[in-house]
Amino acid sequence: MRSTLMKQVPLFLILLCFCIVNLTPVAWGFLTSIRQPVDAFAVPPKLIFTPTLEFHWQIWVDKGFWRFLINTAIVSVCAVTISVSIGSMAAYALSRLRSRLASGLLFSLLAMRMFPHILLAIPFFVIAQAAHLIDTYIAMILAVVALNQPFTIWLMRSFFAEVPGELYDSAVMDGCNAWQTFRRVALPIVKPGLWVTTLFSLLLAYNEFLLALVLTRTGTKTMPVAIAEYGAEDISYWSLSAAAAFGIMLPILVFMLFMQRHLVRGMAAGAVKG
Amino acid sequence: MASVAIRNVGKRYGPVTVMRGIGVDIADGEFVVLVGPSGCGKSTLLRMIAGLEEITEGEVSIGETVVNDIAPKDRNIAMVFQNYALYPHMTVEENMAFALTLQRTERAEIEKRVRRAAEILGLAPLLKRYPKQLSGGQRQRVAMGRAIVRDPQVFLFDEPLSNLDAKLRVQMRMEIKELHQRLKTTTVYVTHDQIEAMTMADRIVVMRDGAVEQIGAPLDLYNHPDNLFVAGFIGSPGMNFMAGRIENGRFLTKGGETLPLPDGYGGTRTDVIYGIRPEHLTLDVGGAPALVSVVEPTGPEVQVFARLGVEQIVAVLRDAPSVSPGDKVGFSPQIDRVHIFDAASGRRLVAADLDRAA
Repeated sequence: MRSTLMKQVPLFLILLCFCIVNLTPVAWGFLTSIRQPVDAFAVPPKLIFTPTLEFHWQIWVDKGFWRFLINTAIVSVCAVTISVSIGSMAAYALSRLRSRLASGLLFSLLAMRMFPHILLAIPFFVIAQAAHLIDTYIAMILAVVALNQPFTIWLMRSFFAEVPGELYDSAVMDGCNAWQTFRRVALPIVKPGLWVTTLFSLLLAYNEFLLALVLTRTGTKTMPVAIAEYGAEDISYWSLSAAAAFGIMLPILVFMLFMQRHLVRGMAAGAVKG
Repeated sequence: MASVAIRNVGKRYGPVTVMRGIGVDIADGEFVVLVGPSGCGKSTLLRMIAGLEEITEGEVSIGETVVNDIAPKDRNIAMVFQNYALYPHMTVEENMAFALTLQRTERAEIEKRVRRAAEILGLAPLLKRYPKQLSGGQRQRVAMGRAIVRDPQVFLFDEPLSNLDAKLRVQMRMEIKELHQRLKTTTVYVTHDQIEAMTMADRIVVMRDGAVEQIGAPLDLYNHPDNLFVAGFIGSPGMNFMAGRIENGRFLTKGGETLPLPDGYGGTRTDVIYGIRPEHLTLDVGGAPALVSVVEPTGPEVQVFARLGVEQIVAVLRDAPSVSPGDKVGFSPQIDRVHIFDAASGRRLVAADLDRAA
C-alpha cells in the first residue's frame, strides 16, 4: 500500500506539471479570445476584466470563417479517406510479405518522413503550378496524402503485425481469397488501430499549415492559414486569431470524445497483446 | 470421407532440404497421429496436406485426387489450430458459419449445420458469444465446431490441446476421440505429446528430423519399436538404455553388471544397447544390484530412480514396495520385454540378426 502511494504521488505530480505546461497556451489562448487586446496584453496581466464573445462572433459571423472550416473539412476528410485506405492495404501487404523488399520499402517510406516539409513544399508548388492546380482541392488533398502516407502505413503495419498468423491460415482454409482475408478477417481485427490511425492522420491534415500556405489562395484557403493571416495584420487582431484558433479545436475535441472508447482500445492494443 | 496418401513427400526451402521421402497411407476413417519432437517436420507435413505449405517433392492425394496444385479450400478438409485461430470479431455462430458463408451456402442450410455442430459439441447456449468470453476448452470446442460444419473429408489437427491445462487436456482428448468415433471422419492429428498419440491414435507416425522413424498401431510401437529413437520416445517414463555387450547369451553392461537375455540371443556381439521399460522391471533380490537414489510415489505406483553400475535407471513398481533412497536393491527385467539395439545404427536387433553376426 505504502509503496503504491510512494510511486503514485510523484507520478501524479509529474503528470500534473506536464498537463499544466501543455494546457497553459490553450488557456492563455482562450483568455485572449474573450478579452479586448488592451486587456490581453496588459503588463502585469490583468486578472479582472469584462469577458466578451465579440471576437468569436466576428470570426464566425462577420468574417465568414466557416468558409475556411468547410475548405479544411473537405481537404481533411478526402485526404484521410484516401491515405487511410491506401495505408491499410499497403500496410497489410507489407506485414504479410516476408521478403527483404518489404523492409526496404518500409524504410524508404520512413526516409520520406524525415524530409523537412519545407523541402517538399517547394517541389509540390512547382508541380501544382505546372499542372495548373494551384488553389484547387485536388492539389491540397494529394499533397496532404503524400505527407500522411508513410505515417499511416507504418502505424497500420504495427497493428497488422500483431494479428496472429494462424488467423490467416484459418482464413485460407475457410476459403478466403486475398481480398476477403484482408477485408473480412484482418481489417475488422485491427479496427481499433484503424481508428487511431484515422484520428492521427486527421489531426495532421487538419492542422497542415505550410502546404496550405503554399498551395492555396483565396478559394481553398484552410483554417490554419486564415488564422495566421489575422494575427499577421496587427497585434490588435490577436484576439480574433485566438478566437479562431480556439474555434477550430472544437470539432477535433468532439471527435475525440466520440471516439474515446475506440482510441483507448487501439492504443492499448499496440502495447499489450490482447 | 476419404483416404489420404502421402507418397515420397519432401520439403525444401531453397537449397535446404528439411524433409524427404515421407510415405504414409491413411485409410478412410482412420485416426492417424503424427508425433515427434519439435522441429521434426510433423506440422510442416500437416500444413502440406492442408495446402498451407507447398509440396516441393512427391505427391499428396485425398480420396482419388492428387491435391498438390489444388487450393486449400477445394481440398475438402478442415483444420483445427493450436491457438484455436477463432476470429475475435465474430460470434461463435459467425465463426462456425464463416466458411459456409464464403461458399454462398443457403442461409437455412448454414443454420442447420451450425445447430447440429453446436449440439454435438454442447455449444448451443454459447452461439451468440464472442471468443474472448469463452474459456479455453470452449474455444477449442468452437474450433472443432468450425471444422465439423464444413463436413469435410479429412480433419486436420495441429497440436490442438497444447494450450490447455493438464486436466482439460485429458477431457478434450476424450472428446476428440468420441467425436471421431461418432463422425468417423479421416483424421490427421499432430502432437509432440506421446501420451496423446498413444491414447488417441489408430496408428502413429513417429517422425524425427524430417523423416519417418516408424509407423504402427500404438501398442505395436510400444512392444516392437524399430529403433532406439522410437523406443525412447514412446512410453513414459522412457525406456531404460544400457550400453554393453553380449557374451554367451548374457548381457554385460559397461560397468560389468550382468543382465539376462531372451532365448535365441546367443553368440557374442559388442556395441549393443540393452533396453527395458521401467514398468517391466521388478524388485528381485537375485537381480542386478542397484543403489536407489530417488523414490517418487505417484499414487497407484512408485517410480524408483536407481544407479545400476554406471547407468541411471528408473523402475515403475506397483504394490507400494518399501524402498527408500540409499537402499541396495536388485532388479530383474521381464525377459520377454527386453529389447536389444545396435549401438551404431540404433536399429533393434532380433535374435536372427545376432546369429548372422555370430
